[in-house]
Amino acid sequence: MIYRLWSVFCAGLLLVPQLSAAATPQRVMSLNLCADQLLLALLPEQRIVSLSWLSQTEGDPYWLTTAQRLPANHGTAEEVLAMQPDLVIAGAYTTSATRRLLARAGTPLLVLQPAQDWAGIRAVTRQVAAAVGERARGEQLLAQMDQTLLQLQQQSSPTPLRVIAWSGSGTDVPGRDTLFDAILTAAGAVNVGAAVAGRADFDLERLLQLRPEVLLRGAAYAATPSMRGEAVNHRVLRKLYAGAQLTYPEAVYGCGVPRAAQMALQLRQQLLAVKTRSSLP
Amino acid sequence: MRRSWRRPVLFAVAGLLLLVVMSLLVGRVALPANTLMTLWRSDADPLAVLIITELRLPRTVLALLVGAALGLSGAVLQGLTRNPLAEPGLLGVSSGAALGAVIAIHTGLALIWPLATPLLGLAGAFGAALLTLTLGRGEGVLVLILAGSAVSGVMFAGTALALNLAPNPYAAYEISMWLMGSLADRSWDHVWLVAPFLLAGLLVLAGTGRALDALSLGEQQATSLGINLRSLRLQVLLGTALAVGAATAVAGAIGFIGLLAPHWVRPWVGHEPRRVLWPATVAGAALLLAADIGTRLLPFAQELKLGVLTVLVGTPFFVSLLLRLRRSAP
Repeated sequence: MIYRLWSVFCAGLLLVPQLSAAATPQRVMSLNLCADQLLLALLPEQRIVSLSWLSQTEGDPYWLTTAQRLPANHGTAEEVLAMQPDLVIAGAYTTSATRRLLARAGTPLLVLQPAQDWAGIRAVTRQVAAAVGERARGEQLLAQMDQTLLQLQQQSSPTPLRVIAWSGSGTDVPGRDTLFDAILTAAGAVNVGAAVAGRADFDLERLLQLRPEVLLRGAAYAATPSMRGEAVNHRVLRKLYAGAQLTYPEAVYGCGVPRAAQMALQLRQQLLAVKTRSSLP
Repeated sequence: MRRSWRRPVLFAVAGLLLLVVMSLLVGRVALPANTLMTLWRSDADPLAVLIITELRLPRTVLALLVGAALGLSGAVLQGLTRNPLAEPGLLGVSSGAALGAVIAIHTGLALIWPLATPLLGLAGAFGAALLTLTLGRGEGVLVLILAGSAVSGVMFAGTALALNLAPNPYAAYEISMWLMGSLADRSWDHVWLVAPFLLAGLLVLAGTGRALDALSLGEQQATSLGINLRSLRLQVLLGTALAVGAATAVAGAIGFIGLLAPHWVRPWVGHEPRRVLWPATVAGAALLLAADIGTRLLPFAQELKLGVLTVLVGTPFFVSLLLRLRRSAP
């Protein structure tokens, strides 16, 4: 459920009307965290009018300083109208009232669906690159992504680590056909949560039954508190997974953008650094 | 007299035992039915042993304790107020416990130290009880009830405020989930933390039987029989704060059990408040354990929250009870 919140922030594709290829939009605005990251990768700073406020606190730290230099928006129609961008990019699950208003005001709008795998990332990147008139840059980003993926594949371990991204019962575990499953697999781990398609709720019993060797725990959002630690600190897990845990910033892994391959590379290094394996018999 | 007592007691004990066995065998992971027999053998499946002893057993114990607390305090409060609609939430104690726990989640204390949630829940229950007592200090039960509903209102508003201002979408999600009540993935740590408070509360509440019987004749009659109403109210408030506060602190808000349990047993034990107390305690424990087993049996992708199930199942049950009462009434 909570992951759905995240996919909400993340990008995808679906060009609503065909944008005229004649004029390349010079002033582009994004209302979505993942669209922010695509724009930052595709465009020079001067062509980005505004990014979502989330980019200034959340997401990939790689973009943080650039994002903080640019004006932020909170996804309201007023902000868009005041900025008068040539093109607005929004996510399919957020700012729905804003999107409706903008469509009525005739503002050119690109609505993105979240990418859930590498193919989806390729499609989204090409979609946005085409819309902002940076096809070549888009292909360059994808080539880098494919190169990183290839490198990861060549160096994969013969005995992959069995892991699960579990942040307490009642929170969703990324299963089959999710972006994080794709990243985990690329990182060379076996996602035991992939026993279930999509996002599922695993309680402790089922978690133990799957016998993961290492637990990946989603870190608190923006360093603000939440209770996900509670079940993770269950005494069974304290006993069985002491040291065999890895905390990862979920928000950073939430976007289906070319840099997800870099994230997989980072995750591989972090996984290699975990020396302890679960002692579950 | 002997005949009318023995059968229901045997029935209740057998029922409870059956529920406990079911509770140990039912869960997301299917275990063979003979697991319980082989649990002590050295060749037992270590995963099964772990699941039963560290996950399902503490959960079962908590369900029994929480249900007993809700059932008994419901019976006592219905006796004290002489109102069949009274339930443990009446004195503001459970909403106080909820607020305390929510504050623990909201401020991040729960993150630093997981047991902060139940501990602050207990503190919230006591805070609310103290407030109710101060506000409702006057004579009569009515003032106490009004004070309780005012305190409940304030505590609910505080909880809503925490939800409203949650700095973190996860925290907002967890607060709302927590408020639905659940016993999923509780551990022995939770049992050891709340059992002393909860059992003390049960003892305090159980001692009110005679006074409640006298009170059923009316406040003046009770006073003339030597009952100190003020200390009775204090005793009920203290017992409820301890028992229901501890229950809510560990399991979240669970509705209807406290209301339902006394009504369920009355056809067997009669209407004298004292005779309802222990049967209602057992009934509360059995109902909550059955509900918790239900949450595990229902095939939803997300486990159904206990508090949601008790209200969903409790309402039609309660209505059927009312209909039967109306039919049997002269």
